[in-house]
Amino acid sequence: MSAQAPISPDEILLQAKQVTKVYPGTVALKNVDFNIYRGKVNVLIGENGAGKTTLMKILAGVEQASSGQLLMDGKEIHVSSPRDANRHGIGIIYQELNLYPNLSVSENIFMSHELTRFGTIREKDQYAIARDLMRRLEQDIDPNTIVGDLRIGQQQIIEIAKALAQNVRILIMDEPTSALSNIEVEVLFRIIRELKTQDVAIVYISHKLDELLQIGDYFTVLRDGALVAETHAGAINLNWIVEKMVGRRADSLFKHSEHKIEQEILQVNDLTLPRVGGGYVVDHVSFSLRAGEVVGIYGLMGAGRTELLESLMGLNSEARGAIILNGRNIAGLDIKSRIALGLSLVPEDRQLRGLIQKLSVSHNITLASLSRYLRMLALSSRLERASVRYEIDELRIKVANPDDLISSLSGGNQQKVVVGKSLLTNPKVLMLDEPTRGIDVAAKGEIFEIINQLALNGLGVLFVSSELKEVMAMADRVLVMWKGCITAELQKHEISQEAIAAASVGTQTSPETNTTQEAIR
Amino acid sequence: MSKLKHLFIPILLLVALTVAAFPMAAQSSDVPEGNGELIVIITPSHDNPFFKSEADAAQARAEELGYETLVLIHDDDAALQDQHFDTAIARGAAAIILDNAGADASIAAVQKAKDAGIPTFLIDREINSTGDAMAQIVSDNYQGATLGAEEFVRLMGEEGQYVELLGRETDTNAHIRSQGYNDIIGQYPDMELVATQSANWSQTEAFDVMQTIIQANPDIKGVISGNDTMALGAAAALQAAGMTDVFVVGFDGSPDVMEAIRQGTIQATVLQPAAYIAELAVEQASVYIQTGEAPAEEKQSVPCELIVPENVDEYGIFARLDE
Amino acid sequence: MSHASISMRQDKAAKQSLGRDPRMMVLRLRTLIALFILVVIFAFTAPAFLTTGNIIILVKQVALNAILGIGMTFVILTGGIDLSVGSIVGLAGMIAGGLITEGLILPMFGVSIFFNIPLVIAFTLIVGMVVGLLNGLIITKLNVTPFIATLGMLYMARSAALLRSNGATFPNLVGSDLLGNTGFPAIGAGTLMGLPWAIWIMVVFIFIASFVAARTPFGRQVYAVGGNERAAELSGVRVNRVKILAYMISGFCAAVVGLIITSQLVAAHPATGNSYELNAIAVVVLGGASLSGGRGSILGTIIGAFVIGVLNNGMVLIGLSEFVQTGITGFVIVAAVVLDQSQQRLQRQLALQQATAQVLDTQQGKEVA
Repeated sequence: MSAQAPISPDEILLQAKQVTKVYPGTVALKNVDFNIYRGKVNVLIGENGAGKTTLMKILAGVEQASSGQLLMDGKEIHVSSPRDANRHGIGIIYQELNLYPNLSVSENIFMSHELTRFGTIREKDQYAIARDLMRRLEQDIDPNTIVGDLRIGQQQIIEIAKALAQNVRILIMDEPTSALSNIEVEVLFRIIRELKTQDVAIVYISHKLDELLQIGDYFTVLRDGALVAETHAGAINLNWIVEKMVGRRADSLFKHSEHKIEQEILQVNDLTLPRVGGGYVVDHVSFSLRAGEVVGIYGLMGAGRTELLESLMGLNSEARGAIILNGRNIAGLDIKSRIALGLSLVPEDRQLRGLIQKLSVSHNITLASLSRYLRMLALSSRLERASVRYEIDELRIKVANPDDLISSLSGGNQQKVVVGKSLLTNPKVLMLDEPTRGIDVAAKGEIFEIINQLALNGLGVLFVSSELKEVMAMADRVLVMWKGCITAELQKHEISQEAIAAASVGTQTSPETNTTQEAIR
Repeated sequence: MSKLKHLFIPILLLVALTVAAFPMAAQSSDVPEGNGELIVIITPSHDNPFFKSEADAAQARAEELGYETLVLIHDDDAALQDQHFDTAIARGAAAIILDNAGADASIAAVQKAKDAGIPTFLIDREINSTGDAMAQIVSDNYQGATLGAEEFVRLMGEEGQYVELLGRETDTNAHIRSQGYNDIIGQYPDMELVATQSANWSQTEAFDVMQTIIQANPDIKGVISGNDTMALGAAAALQAAGMTDVFVVGFDGSPDVMEAIRQGTIQATVLQPAAYIAELAVEQASVYIQTGEAPAEEKQSVPCELIVPENVDEYGIFARLDE
Repeated sequence: MSHASISMRQDKAAKQSLGRDPRMMVLRLRTLIALFILVVIFAFTAPAFLTTGNIIILVKQVALNAILGIGMTFVILTGGIDLSVGSIVGLAGMIAGGLITEGLILPMFGVSIFFNIPLVIAFTLIVGMVVGLLNGLIITKLNVTPFIATLGMLYMARSAALLRSNGATFPNLVGSDLLGNTGFPAIGAGTLMGLPWAIWIMVVFIFIASFVAARTPFGRQVYAVGGNERAAELSGVRVNRVKILAYMISGFCAAVVGLIITSQLVAAHPATGNSYELNAIAVVVLGGASLSGGRGSILGTIIGAFVIGVLNNGMVLIGLSEFVQTGITGFVIVAAVVLDQSQQRLQRQLALQQATAQVLDTQQGKEVA
């Protein structure tokens, strides 16, 4: 199944065997094996939604596996709560900080593990230990400081100190360096090396690939909930990681057809959305879209992509600017009217914005187009059924019975239901926000096939993605956003990884891009 | 009659006349017995001991006479009372004993029963129509109020500031009692009414209202209350403020207030003979069921009695203890 | 071979709809089963229970809670709550009673206008809807949570009812031939084919409300708003409009109940309907609706109303003490919600099993291949 690295069994501290985790509607992990080596840095790699976080949560006792087992020193253990994990010496540092900003550094470090004598907290001892930890981490922080007063990077250090105070055998670190400065990263790596000499096993998760190569000893790659490869540091390089992470099939997923691009159908002029507390989330954005054209919007998290689409749809009443759809300015109209005029949005957060979990598949599909099925006063179930059947066939939605609850479908099929709902409104312009988030590879391919087909049918398609490969493969034209502005507009022949990446951090590389706004505020 | 010695002659005469005015058939044994016919007894909620004793007395007397009984609660909800009447009619009741849920709102129900051939005997409260109910037996609220007011005046030494707590403004009894109080107290020019407030028959409301009144009128000497629960609330507020020498007079004769009279926190109350009235209604119903003979008068009133520390032990729950 | 046969069985299991699991059937029909059990118990313990007369009374009593519950169902389906219905019942009675007794007083002209009974009824129903409209506007436009908004309305509408007559009752609402407003008592006392009007009104309401909830775009949108307001909004549902309409329906239903009660009593009392909102909520919850919205049905609510009605009627007939009755009613409500929770849990569990089966299925399929 995968290229096995040389393994000496006595080095394995914790072994996860055939772990499967099923959530209603999705399978997060499929029979995954994962070995954690004593005194080594065990790197876990995968794209968003590959299952890293789920596996980690199972190890930390936050979630329980649907099937499979955990062996520690060869003996099966059951980790049914974070407290259990702690007892087995498993500590975890989450990406999101889990600190009490209203309490002091030493109180945070000893939260729920307070040192006590006769039921009272030994403040002095806690202080002394916390101070030693701070010294060891080379931080000049008084343990009595209130955590809320510290910089985010310093707070991250406190998280690490918290785990160290528990004398862990396994320390899981999820993106520990995302908020750290370069110097702080150096300190962290020093600490990690020190822990290794004490036989502590580190599980290290990060998106920063160069960092992984620098610190990692063993590498495990997950893709779409399945184990792809496991190997040791000597055997790999950057290309290997990328290839395993994305998968060879990735390129073949996107079958780009030549679209027949026709007249302009959507024009956006000077669209702004003010930010609470000053500035703009969407900063004077102008662009246009033609019928039959697929335009990709690329940008990092917080670049304003989602807010741009939501403003176009009418979800943000503070948005200003002209939105001309088919020659008519729709700014100021409510969502229902915009839908009626041919605009539709497949939102980024499927659960929050896309679906109504308590309703059936068919009721979800027809929700946005109810007036189509109206005969006299009543909804015609015959017409409704016909539309539902049509979309299920057209989008190849796998569902046993359209009357089943939407939550019984897998993520990819749920996404297709949301797309189907939009298509039934007969849109002229379809906007999709991260349409492939959290769905499996096969479904991703199908979603892109659908997008392709829609463009061929003459729809204008605007889609947002954080995955460079997707944008490059699918789009006829790419808009890159950074801090609310469009920093680059790249025609098909201009699209390159470098150009997109540069524009997404605000650096203009291409003199041909017609950006007029100064990106730096 | 020796117990009433300390009362004023006119009142005594009034009582004597009233008592003589209707047949005292209650304790006599010539009430015809029933043969298992159903008597439905409908009262407000039993969480008030007054209504519980009323319902219990009616039920006990009816069963003693050989009737089947069904005891229902209307919670002062006329709609619910109406449903209970439907039930009584459907079950072919021989008579209904009712402490009603509203002088106007109850008329339709009583008429409905009458149309179905079932006589209704009202107890405790009247309705605003005549000729629909077979009997309306109530305690004489006005007479009772004058009893209480006379005792209040005596306690106060015929002078000083006092407070009156009114019952729910929509309730006729609240007005009748207030009228009785004022007709007596008004004859004494040195009695000064410094505050009149409604506390809606409620103990907690009376407590709150009294606390506020005390702030504005620290020199009050007495409180006369439209019923016992309000008297208890007022007494508690006075105790809390350390004003233990203020006289409190209630109305109803509830067990709690009788206890308070023994303790000395309340000085007097007026007993409504609820149990007696209920028994009387059952007996009249029995006469009607067995002989078809209606009570001589539809509107009947039963005199109230004053309870003071000297005679408190002679009374039980809403009734004078049998000798 | 064994793999293949297992996978086929699981395939079948996966395709089977969740509802067909026998445990789910029992839980889904729990309220109906409870109703049946209650009827059987009372049929044996109270001889008068199954008589035609008693059943008609029972259904007539149920009608009031059922009509209130229908209005409440729409509100609860949107994820809201309407605590003001009891006060609207009282206010509606006082409006109708006032119009019959005093007419509409126009001080600037110094005249009173008396309406005939159909107009009195129409006017009263409009007042109910206006109170509902106010609830809806306060909730949607002023962003007050439904609990607080309708709690406030509970007091305000009650105050309006008391102020209408300064706390007095409007008695003897028979109207007068001279004013052309006779006939009001017929709503409460009249019968059609031997059944009181209240029952017919309930039947009509059940049909209309079931139709609206299940077969109209508005009904579908009510479920959508309660299920996920933000997703509904993005699907072009005018969320505020749907919510406001739901509260207006609730106000309308409460006004209908107010009219029925006032007519039955031939008198309007301002305290009428006190705490009826709690009964209405109870029957909706008993009917399987979720207080967080998006789940529930008119038919469920009606069954819930019958459970409460049968329980109250039966307990009265067997002569249970008032205090015991209250406790049993409370127990039934809590038990209903506990069962509802276990239904939800079982449903999730079965969905998970189904999903797991699908996964294992495809994997085994691969291995076999």
